[in-house]
Amino acid sequence: MIDWKLVLEVIGMLIYATFMGFIFMGIERKAMARIQRRVGPPIYQPIIDTLKLLGKKESVTHGFIYDFGPIFALGASIAALLFIPLAGFRLFSASADLIVVAYLLEVPMLGIMLGAMSSGNPYSAVGVQRGLLTMVAMQLPYGLALIAIIQHWGTFKLNELVSLQQAQGWSILVPALFLAMIVFDIVFQAMLGLEPFDIITAPAEISMGPMVEYGGKHAALLFTQHAVQLFAETAFFAVIFLGGASNLIELLIKQIAVLFIAIFVASIYPRFTIDQAAKFFWKWPTILGIIAVLLTM
Amino acid sequence: MINELIIIIFAPLIAGIIAWALDVKGVREAIGLIGAAVPLAYLGKLYSTVLNETVNYSVTVSGFTLHFQLNTMSWYFAAVASLVGLAMAFGMASTSKSSYDWLFALMSYTGVLGVFLSQDFVGFFLLWEMMTFASFMMVVRRNRHESLKYFVLSVIGAYAMLVAIGILYAKTGALDFATIRQALYVDASIGAISTAETALIFGLFLTAFGVKAGAVPLHVWAPGAYSETDQSYTTFFSGALSKAGAYGFLLLYILMGYKLYAALGTFHGHLTFAYIIAWIGAITVVVAGFLAVLQEDIRKLFAYSSVSQVGYILLAFGLGSSLGFAGGLFHVLSHAVFKGLFWLVTAAIILQTGKTQFKDMGGLAEKMPFTFAMGLIAVLSLSGIPPLAGFASKWLIYEAAISAHMPLVAGAIFLGSGIAFAYVVRFLYAVWFGQRPSDLEDVKEAPLPLLIGMAILAIPNLLFGVAPGIVTEYINKMLGGEVVGGDYYRLVTPTGTYNAMLVTIALVIGLAIAGLIYLYGARVRKIRVTNTYQSGNPVTEEFNLSIRKNFYRPLAEALDFWLKYSWDRFYERLAGMTEDFADSLRQAVYNGNVQSYSWYLAIVLLILALWGVL
Repeated sequence: MIDWKLVLEVIGMLIYATFMGFIFMGIERKAMARIQRRVGPPIYQPIIDTLKLLGKKESVTHGFIYDFGPIFALGASIAALLFIPLAGFRLFSASADLIVVAYLLEVPMLGIMLGAMSSGNPYSAVGVQRGLLTMVAMQLPYGLALIAIIQHWGTFKLNELVSLQQAQGWSILVPALFLAMIVFDIVFQAMLGLEPFDIITAPAEISMGPMVEYGGKHAALLFTQHAVQLFAETAFFAVIFLGGASNLIELLIKQIAVLFIAIFVASIYPRFTIDQAAKFFWKWPTILGIIAVLLTM
Repeated sequence: MINELIIIIFAPLIAGIIAWALDVKGVREAIGLIGAAVPLAYLGKLYSTVLNETVNYSVTVSGFTLHFQLNTMSWYFAAVASLVGLAMAFGMASTSKSSYDWLFALMSYTGVLGVFLSQDFVGFFLLWEMMTFASFMMVVRRNRHESLKYFVLSVIGAYAMLVAIGILYAKTGALDFATIRQALYVDASIGAISTAETALIFGLFLTAFGVKAGAVPLHVWAPGAYSETDQSYTTFFSGALSKAGAYGFLLLYILMGYKLYAALGTFHGHLTFAYIIAWIGAITVVVAGFLAVLQEDIRKLFAYSSVSQVGYILLAFGLGSSLGFAGGLFHVLSHAVFKGLFWLVTAAIILQTGKTQFKDMGGLAEKMPFTFAMGLIAVLSLSGIPPLAGFASKWLIYEAAISAHMPLVAGAIFLGSGIAFAYVVRFLYAVWFGQRPSDLEDVKEAPLPLLIGMAILAIPNLLFGVAPGIVTEYINKMLGGEVVGGDYYRLVTPTGTYNAMLVTIALVIGLAIAGLIYLYGARVRKIRVTNTYQSGNPVTEEFNLSIRKNFYRPLAEALDFWLKYSWDRFYERLAGMTEDFADSLRQAVYNGNVQSYSWYLAIVLLILALWGVL
């Protein structure tokens, strides 16, 4: 009765995604270092960091929700990952479509917010406020980019999106969808929490925002969550704009390409303040998004 | 043998009157609960009958024939209303201390059921007025100004409807829905009713139903009326009574959809009249959402949020596709259960703390854990977290909006759901988490009846979230076709799929893995909230670490330009101008000068002379 092949695939993919997510984080740090003419940490540094955090002798907690927040965030990231078609591994992707995945990719944010709020720290609260405002701000262009994709291909199903693109060429080769890609890429920067939209954590400004109180195994959970989320989001980008992939290597190349664009942008732009970010999102990306949507009608 | 439909409609009213007349503590609660439970029980009993045939009942009163019918659609709306009604009764058993509240709360319950079950305009309008009056009486007891605002707007709506009914009666000679529908259908090809008249009728109905649904710009009564009443009653007020407006829009389709299409035509491939409704919905979602984010009062926040969520329903109905109707109808149910739950949680908070402002609250999660859990379910459902009922209905609306080729309307829902995230988190943060003010130290868990009421509404949130197919299967029967496919756990539309069960399983797998990592880590030590990072400085109890005021200040600044304009102020000014005008009219005409009155007489005589009468 139980589909053992699927079970093995799920387990294998989770391990692979977590590992590669950590490597992506390492690549990010390495690339940033190179851009600033530093050597930087080894590429597997985030794994060491996480293991160190897991090895702490004691963690502190502020109550049940404080613990539940990071767990919920990681759980939701894993759930989102399972519904994305990853190269040949389709896992559960036939059972949920683009809207579901787009929503699931946002749920972890709520988990982090939930935990951060229950710590009662004012820095966390400021971080939560900024996080939610970023979300409100980016939601409109984000939605428009997704709508453009759906309208052009006429389907919500991720598997069909992939096969349509493999038959008829990648999304970004369509001019209207190229515009949508630009919009999505701007939003993507905020989704990954990179400059100029790293307003949520804003290190040096509000001492890591929501994560300020987290240490020990909670921080390790959040690191893992970030790794899985990074993998899922880059894969999502590759699936909807870059035609998915037929094998994991191809997927990896596309993911890293997407990641590098994000890193290059992040390393030369300073941070927006939150009201600037809101106004920015409601101006250029929204206009571009509307144009893209109208072109695909 | 009294007909079942009459029992369903009038049981709450009769129970309300008995409870009011007896006014014995304990007895009135029991009677009220029974009265509220009877409609649900009867509707449950009639479920299998309704699927095969309609249940009809006619009665002649004062020369009018009132026709009531229980068909698949009215059963659905009535069932949603009576579910919320029962939860309201449980809530009121805890929060309400007077028989006055029971009388009018149950009277409005009757009004709402009657509106859903009526099949002719006489009964519809009578019970519509009863519903308005009873809800007005619930508000007037606590706040005169807000209640009058609600009443005046409702009266404008109701009489707009009366005028529209009058025109329809003049044109078709009928008052019952079936005949009007038939007459208008025939008229679509003949064209006896001109385009301008059709547009007028449409506009009048739009006003009438727009007021009740709280559509922008007719929403200004909602924040005041929803907050200035017993919060348990608001469960019903916002959960079920606002659905009367949504039902009205549906009725508009049923009665004159084809005629409106024939008269007003299409606009870029959409039905013009539906397009208008869709945009009203989209604007309502966004405007009310932004206003909700900026509120500093727990009741005001939920009032605006309720307006915003009803906007989703209008928007879905405005799409005009059967998938849109399915999404809207599903959202009727899910909005009723999650928003009803929210109001019961609010009732519990206000009952136990006596405070309504965010700045006075905080850290209640430890004191009221069960209420908090219920509030969390409502939060997850409203913000559309799979797998809860709120997500399933929103998912259908997304699919419908994009499939109907209304991308900008769909963009408005994306924005609206982001805003919804923001305001529910504001509620979570300010009420449940952070430092607890010292005067809330002896707060206790909500009383049992209130908790039962919450549970009644929380269960559907979870059940219809994991198994949305139960609802869509019924909606398919209502719409007469396979609009949403799939089985109990799976929704399938022509373009997408959503397997709620599998999403639940994936989430559970994810939570299990995360939980294992958590368990693998070192043990935890619980510390106080004030034992926290404050740039490395020591913190004591006197410091207020929670941000309780103006939480979304940057947003208010970013929206500065738009917030300068307010419909509320516009209406207040209009009311002021009308009052001034009435004043000056009184002073100018009734001036107490005998000579002026003789001049009036002379002028009238002159007019008559010129007319040739004299």
